Amino acid sequence: MEGSDTYLIRPNHQFKFKPAIVKECIREIVRERLSGMRYDPEEVPELSRSLANCIKDKVKNAGSDRYKLVVQVVIGEQRGQGVKMSSRCLWDADTDNYAEDVFINDSLFCVAAVFGTYYY
Amino acid sequence: MVLRRELGTEGGQVDNNVRRRDDGERRQRGGESVGRRDPEKETRRGKDKLRERRDKEEVDRRKEGSRERRSERDRRDKVVDGKRNDEDKERLRDKEDKRREDRDKEKQREEREERRRHEEGGETERREKQDREKRDRHRERDEDKRNASERRERKHAEVKEDGENREEPRRRGEERERRRTERGRHDEKRKHDSRPREHRGVKEEVGGDGERTERDNVKERKHREDEEPERNRRRDPTGSRRSDNATDKSHDARTEGEAAARDPRATAEPAAEDEELADYEDDFEVIVHAQAEDCNAWFSCFKSVFVLCLHAVLAQKPDYEEDFEELDESPDEEEEKEKEGSEVLEEKEELTAERRKEIETIQKAMDEENQRVQSREISSTEEERPRRSTGSEKTPSGDSQRGKFIDFVAAKQREVSEKVASKQKKRSTELLRLIDLDFSTTASLLDLPPVNEYDMYIRTFGTENTKQAYVQCNEDNVDRDIQTEETEVCEKWTQHPPEHHGACGDPNLSREAQDKSEMSFDSRRLATFLRSASQVMVVLLEERRADRKSLEKTKSPTDSMSFSDGSLLLNTQLPFLYGRRVSLLHFSPAQKHIVMSVHRPAGTPSAVRLDGCSVICIWNIWEPSSPQRVLIYESEVQCCCFSPGKAELVFAGTSVGSVLLWDLREDTEGHYGLQVGERDWTFRLPTFSTDAVMSGSGHLSSVTSVEVVPSSSSSDVPLLASEDESSGPAFHLASLDEVGVLNFWVVLELPKANEAGSPTDLGLRPGGKVKLLHSSVLLAAERDSQRDAARTGPLQTLRLKFLPTDCNRFLIGTNVGLVNHETSHGLKAPPRFYGFQEAAVQPVDVTSIRFSPFRRHLFLVGCGDGSIRLHAASQQRPVSEWRNSTSGEPVVSLEWNQTRPSVFCVLDGASNLHIWDLLRDDSQPVVTEKLLSDRVTAMSAFGDSGQQHTYSGVALAHESGKIEMQYFTRSLTVSSSEEEEKLESLVTEAF
Repeated sequence: MEGSDTYLIRPNHQFKFKPAIVKECIREIVRERLSGMRYDPEEVPELSRSLANCIKDKVKNAGSDRYKLVVQVVIGEQRGQGVKMSSRCLWDADTDNYAEDVFINDSLFCVAAVFGTYYY
Repeated sequence: MVLRRELGTEGGQVDNNVRRRDDGERRQRGGESVGRRDPEKETRRGKDKLRERRDKEEVDRRKEGSRERRSERDRRDKVVDGKRNDEDKERLRDKEDKRREDRDKEKQREEREERRRHEEGGETERREKQDREKRDRHRERDEDKRNASERRERKHAEVKEDGENREEPRRRGEERERRRTERGRHDEKRKHDSRPREHRGVKEEVGGDGERTERDNVKERKHREDEEPERNRRRDPTGSRRSDNATDKSHDARTEGEAAARDPRATAEPAAEDEELADYEDDFEVIVHAQAEDCNAWFSCFKSVFVLCLHAVLAQKPDYEEDFEELDESPDEEEEKEKEGSEVLEEKEELTAERRKEIETIQKAMDEENQRVQSREISSTEEERPRRSTGSEKTPSGDSQRGKFIDFVAAKQREVSEKVASKQKKRSTELLRLIDLDFSTTASLLDLPPVNEYDMYIRTFGTENTKQAYVQCNEDNVDRDIQTEETEVCEKWTQHPPEHHGACGDPNLSREAQDKSEMSFDSRRLATFLRSASQVMVVLLEERRADRKSLEKTKSPTDSMSFSDGSLLLNTQLPFLYGRRVSLLHFSPAQKHIVMSVHRPAGTPSAVRLDGCSVICIWNIWEPSSPQRVLIYESEVQCCCFSPGKAELVFAGTSVGSVLLWDLREDTEGHYGLQVGERDWTFRLPTFSTDAVMSGSGHLSSVTSVEVVPSSSSSDVPLLASEDESSGPAFHLASLDEVGVLNFWVVLELPKANEAGSPTDLGLRPGGKVKLLHSSVLLAAERDSQRDAARTGPLQTLRLKFLPTDCNRFLIGTNVGLVNHETSHGLKAPPRFYGFQEAAVQPVDVTSIRFSPFRRHLFLVGCGDGSIRLHAASQQRPVSEWRNSTSGEPVVSLEWNQTRPSVFCVLDGASNLHIWDLLRDDSQPVVTEKLLSDRVTAMSAFGDSGQQHTYSGVALAHESGKIEMQYFTRSLTVSSSEEEEKLESLVTEAF
């Protein structure tokens, strides 16, 4: 039988998921990869996947220990239509957080959201 | 370990068994059998019950699924292990036996060969049965209780030997043996009656996995249930029944086998076990394989159910085991029965009673063991797993593939995942206690509004041949849809009647005004400067004009008077003064150029609606063109005076008994403004009035005189205009009415004006700052004697004058020609009154009392009969008395010259002005001027003996309303040093 476990239910401050930093990561990557891109339905799925991986790796290295990261990248064509995206989470608001960044150019829009949930 | 060992020795196991059986036989023959077997049965029974219970628990814990089942199996293994330990001794013994048996193996094999050959002759059925028994025995061995059943196996061997040895008898008495077996089986049945239920429990557990399985279960259950009645009937040894049962049971193994073939669960196990048996039990290989083939088919169908099936099979095993045990034991029982005959039944009953107790105890022990095992199990499941799998791998040859297929890899994975899941579950439950999960607010990740048509158009075509332009009115409000001007709103209030200050106003204004006053000290100073400077300018301008006029006047001889050096006309040609007689003229004692004129209510209605009012005009004689202030009051003003010092306050007594106070400093805006002619005039109502307010303490008859009580220190410094005065140390005011009530008032200046009016001081005008506070009352009119009263009628007090040297002493002129001398504190002053030369009381009014501005203890008294007296304050009798100087006309007014001590003027009722100069003539006036053309109604002297510009004169108010300022000639203005001496000499001469 296991003894009573001890849990680290709050991350250290330096390891905490910091939306500002993560947002900067996202912005950097997205800007770098998407600036000047035209929307191409053929390559967008792969692009969004690679973007998501890229962001995930970068954020992982950014020092949010013990965080489970969920990266969602949505790329859509920009043709003047209205788009609404929102998210809702059931989580521990003390530890968990998210960061998102939006990139829009003439041809496409890209929403990248990173949800960090603390791994107790 | 045991399994392995046994598998390893499988080759010789049968012989072993035979040996053991031999041993067992020997032992049994030694008489131990009954005693030994019964406890065994009991333990088995206990075990069964335990198992049953466990199975029930399993049903309960169905949710926990296969893990639990697995653990169940493990537990059983453990139980076996436990038993193994218990039976270590036996095992050791068995080992020895085995060694012995090994030695005998060869022999026995040969024997068996022979036997087989012998048996082949015809008794296939019996052999089959035996083989099945063997197989079952092996199964038993496979089963957990291998060691436990070793002894039993020995018995089996015994049975076999018996069978072999007593082949003939058996063959002969097959029926009998069957019956016996039957009975033994029944015994077993009784022990195992719980089994079917156990099976059922297990089956139910498995039930959901496949319909077929379920059906089979049901079948099997039915089968068992069919047997149950038999078991019940066991005790009555009806031969026919027994035989029936016996037949059933003789085929039991087969039926079981068949059932197993039908039932994948059931077959799965026998098949697996048959694999082991296959090596040495050739005869049954076919059957086993057939079963296995069946099983294979089923397996392929029910792969997914394997884990469960397997478990179910394991759970079933004991049943089979016991079934065959029964068979094994039945010979023993037979023997027993042979020995004991019909008593067996009774004995068994006894035994069951005993057993129950024992079972209970054993159950307890088992429970404990199980718990222990269970707890160990959880931690050791992982370790046991490989062993288990290897064990299964060891299943030999042909069907080993299937064995692998059944292999526990999937189950293992499953278990691992379950374990992990349970761990996580535990973790999560623990964590959830510590953590609050909540819904985050819906975060909007992207909100991209649709582009409107215009933008879209511009985006796509905007750059082609178009030019953007827009027009914007009201440039400030680009974002506004409606761009009309907003309505301006401000708050105002009004009040009716509007004559008081603040008839209407803005609540915000006062605040603004305050702000203004805060920030504009300089502007205030500027205002005061402007006011004084403009006054100077106006004065200069007026003077110039007056000079021109007077020049003109001097040219016209008609206007000139003998004593006059020139005259100044106050501009009384004002609409509101039209038709009013001037009743009083009064100069300010401190500011000698300020004069007030009291105009009576007009007899004839005029254009201006002030007819019923008295009007008091405050003039600056240097600005004769218009009055400085215009004061009004509803009733007739009888007397008036200025405040000491600067002429800021005006007091008046009225015919209705009120004492009035005007504060001349008040702003014009708060007063009743009226446009008369081309000018705006401000008519000031009294700042304070005792009307009705002070009815309790005020005057009830007309006020004849109001006087300022000189301050006690004023003897040295005559009331100079000082700064202190205006900032208001209070001074006293005395008012005297006709009946002799003398009221003293304190004049108070409030620190702050209340625009809304005072709720307590109803006499105070809203915005007024100065008020009268009633201080004391004195009844001044004391009769000298009743005799006098009878002669002269009721005493009237007409004039009041305070001694300038002593504020506590005052003079009251009466209607009997006497001037009473009284003090404010009821003390007696030396002369009680100042009377005539003749010391007689005459019904003569004292019309005027004037103190000399130079010799302050001297005063003049003018009487209604025209007589004039000069008194010294210390003497009752006059210094001098002049009768008939006015030819019997009453003295209206009597004034000292302000610049020459020995000169005074008298105005009589016939409008004659007499100027006395005591220095020149102390018996008659030096000048008598008859002003008949326009009768003079009031007179007052003015003059300033200042260093720079000495002037003096009299102001004459004419009947027409004209007010004339007559400047005395130089001879009457400039004083000489002899004059005071003359006065002194007069006093000394008189006494």
